[in-house]
Amino acid sequence: MGIADARAMHPAIDVVEQDIAADRRLLEGLADWCDRYTPLVALEGTEGLFLDITGCAHLFGGERAMRDDMLTRLFHQGFAVCCGVASTPGAAWAASRHTRADPSPDCAQARAEPRADWKRAIVAPGREEALVAPLPLSALRLDLATRDGLESVGLRTVGAVLDTPRAPLARRFGKAVLLRLDQALGRVEESISPRLPVPPLSVERAFAEPLVQLEDIERLVLALGAALKQDLERRGEGARKLDLLLFRVDGVVRRISVGASRPLRNPLLMQRLFRERLATIGETIETGYGFDLIRLSAVQVARFDSMQMDLTGAAGDHGDDMALFADRVRARLGEGVLMRQAPAESHIPERAVTMAPVAAAMAKFSPATVLSAAAARKRDRPIRLFKPPEYVDVTAAEVPEGPPSHFRWRRAAYTVARAEGPERIAPEWWCEDDGQARDYFRVEDTTGRRYWLYREGFYGADGMQPRWYVHGMFA
Amino acid sequence: MAKPAMAREAFFALRQEIARIEGRLADRLEVPAGVHPAAALPSGMVTRRNGEAHQQDACIATGLEAFDGSLGGGVPKAALTELHGREGRNAGAVAGFALGLISLLLKGLSVIEPIVWISVAGFFREAGHPYAPGLLQRFGIAPQHLLVAETRKLEEALWLAEEAASLGRLAAIILELPGNPQRLDLTATRRLHRRAVISGRPVFLLRQLARPEPSAAPLRLVVSPAPAGLRKLLTGPLAGSIGPPGFTVDVSKSPTARNDVFLLEWNDDEHRFEYGQPASADHGAVVPATRGAEGAAAASGAVLALRRPLTSAPGHQLPGRQRPEDLRAG
Repeated sequence: MGIADARAMHPAIDVVEQDIAADRRLLEGLADWCDRYTPLVALEGTEGLFLDITGCAHLFGGERAMRDDMLTRLFHQGFAVCCGVASTPGAAWAASRHTRADPSPDCAQARAEPRADWKRAIVAPGREEALVAPLPLSALRLDLATRDGLESVGLRTVGAVLDTPRAPLARRFGKAVLLRLDQALGRVEESISPRLPVPPLSVERAFAEPLVQLEDIERLVLALGAALKQDLERRGEGARKLDLLLFRVDGVVRRISVGASRPLRNPLLMQRLFRERLATIGETIETGYGFDLIRLSAVQVARFDSMQMDLTGAAGDHGDDMALFADRVRARLGEGVLMRQAPAESHIPERAVTMAPVAAAMAKFSPATVLSAAAARKRDRPIRLFKPPEYVDVTAAEVPEGPPSHFRWRRAAYTVARAEGPERIAPEWWCEDDGQARDYFRVEDTTGRRYWLYREGFYGADGMQPRWYVHGMFA
Repeated sequence: MAKPAMAREAFFALRQEIARIEGRLADRLEVPAGVHPAAALPSGMVTRRNGEAHQQDACIATGLEAFDGSLGGGVPKAALTELHGREGRNAGAVAGFALGLISLLLKGLSVIEPIVWISVAGFFREAGHPYAPGLLQRFGIAPQHLLVAETRKLEEALWLAEEAASLGRLAAIILELPGNPQRLDLTATRRLHRRAVISGRPVFLLRQLARPEPSAAPLRLVVSPAPAGLRKLLTGPLAGSIGPPGFTVDVSKSPTARNDVFLLEWNDDEHRFEYGQPASADHGAVVPATRGAEGAAAASGAVLALRRPLTSAPGHQLPGRQRPEDLRAG
């Protein structure tokens, strides 16, 4: 039906363009929210969610209570939701679609007494066949062409397909029909693909009265961390990455992550890391009507090596303080703020050093990458390096291949009093890089400032004027 | 009769209070409370020099009698120290001098601890990023012992410096900031100084292009580059070569209140400071060729209110040797 036809039938109709991206965002927001029921939440197409509630239902007082809780909350958030609970994803899909398939008696009635409509939606184990048999083929997640084909030969319900011999069916309509059928009946295993990896450990607390103050959340981290610590101890592990999930009353979920460079178990340290994080992003958290569920998850865990305490109670290793310092800086200021330089295999000055975040560098610092002091002594290198090298204006060098006698840099003129060089550094021809050879000079101006200048290219080659750069400053 | 005794009591109490605020030992024989145990001798012994309680090992001693004496024993280990650069292009010399002091400090440590170099966004781009091979070659500071941080905002840099200073696991903290930001006031420097005193780790505040302003640092040195010495060969100095880097260090604020100027050289073989030779014969006068007019960089900061004719003309400084006389005359 076109818009014109629709308008003719209902003049007051409101036409809104479809926004696929926004729909997707909404669905993902809902999926985040559904995290409160189970960690295994998967998106199903563009309009549905799969929740694997295996082992979760009893936490909410059984499947029925869980479903009622979920639907009530979603109803109050303003969503009209159809829900099916079954032992297989296929049957649950069919159950949920089926309840929506006949909304004709109508939305008004459904709204007035929603529970009547939901009654069918829980399928006991082993009752899948009884559920799907009377349903039309649309309950089978088949593509339209296959469905039309089946209907054209008179197979209009799932039950009719079930009664048909399997071999001819597969030959004529492909294996998909049988696969979907088996999946719905539980003859073939089907697993959903969750959006997020399941955290190995999580601890949560729900509130009758929502939390509004960030300080309370901070305090709560300590309590949750204490509970998490017991689990971590039992497993002999520590957390490398922690997520704090804040479920707001109106369905918005906020996730706050902190990383630890060493496995972490102490709730006080967890609290400190989250305090730093909250200090930076605290203003961006909208508390609204408050958070009614708060969960602390250890997203990444690693083996925790216990440390022998000495008699005064101090651990023998001093690296812990540094690790905590690095983690706190990372939590508060961001990932790439505190860096450590590591030598790299290159003779090009700017490539001879790479920067790595301290946390990562702490984990793997191999002695092979340690610069040898003896090797370093051979060459004079500046203590400050300009990245990128800055262009300097050199009118002419006294000797074509020699150092300049005057240069201008940053709008100031310099007179070279002494110079040493050149040190020629050729480009790395094995890289895809056709740079030119550089001749480096150490020069000292008349006030005693020492610079590292280089000339790129040669005088007289191809008629090109070589360019001069300042690359660093010496002490 | 009781009155003068009471007055004297109050006087001594005040003196102790002043000493406590200044972060040095009060004039008495035991180690007062509040001083870091690492700064005091294990035996609790306090040596006295010139009638003043003097803590051994509380300073980074350069071994140069006059220089250390002018600073009151050396650059203090548990304090904030300001190093100023009059011009932006002196950043190399200022950082080099600080690193030289840190190199001396590391030499005395049994376990090498890392140092951290903190700055704000954009400054390293302007003045040059710390370059590990150069630091290793010149000052023996290995790359794995250097942490570099560049924060987005000044507040973050100050927070990071404070945290690093109070950590007690870093050998030294370098905080490098350009200009005279509002946030770097007496309170901020005092916070840094207190943390340095408590943890016993030096904090070097490198200030480029800043005019001196009141700060809690007991020591302020103005560092400018000086012509390098000559390379020493077996046959003698090699003419025209660029050898050990030179620094002109102007003691602008110190506990002894002596305004001396020193010409120092960093010996990168021995890793120590030496007195530099004044401008050598083949070098001519140490006066910049660009006098003000064309091409000279803008003067660093504002002209300051201290009555020191030399500092009022940045860029035209005279050789270090001439300064004390001038000062005394003025």
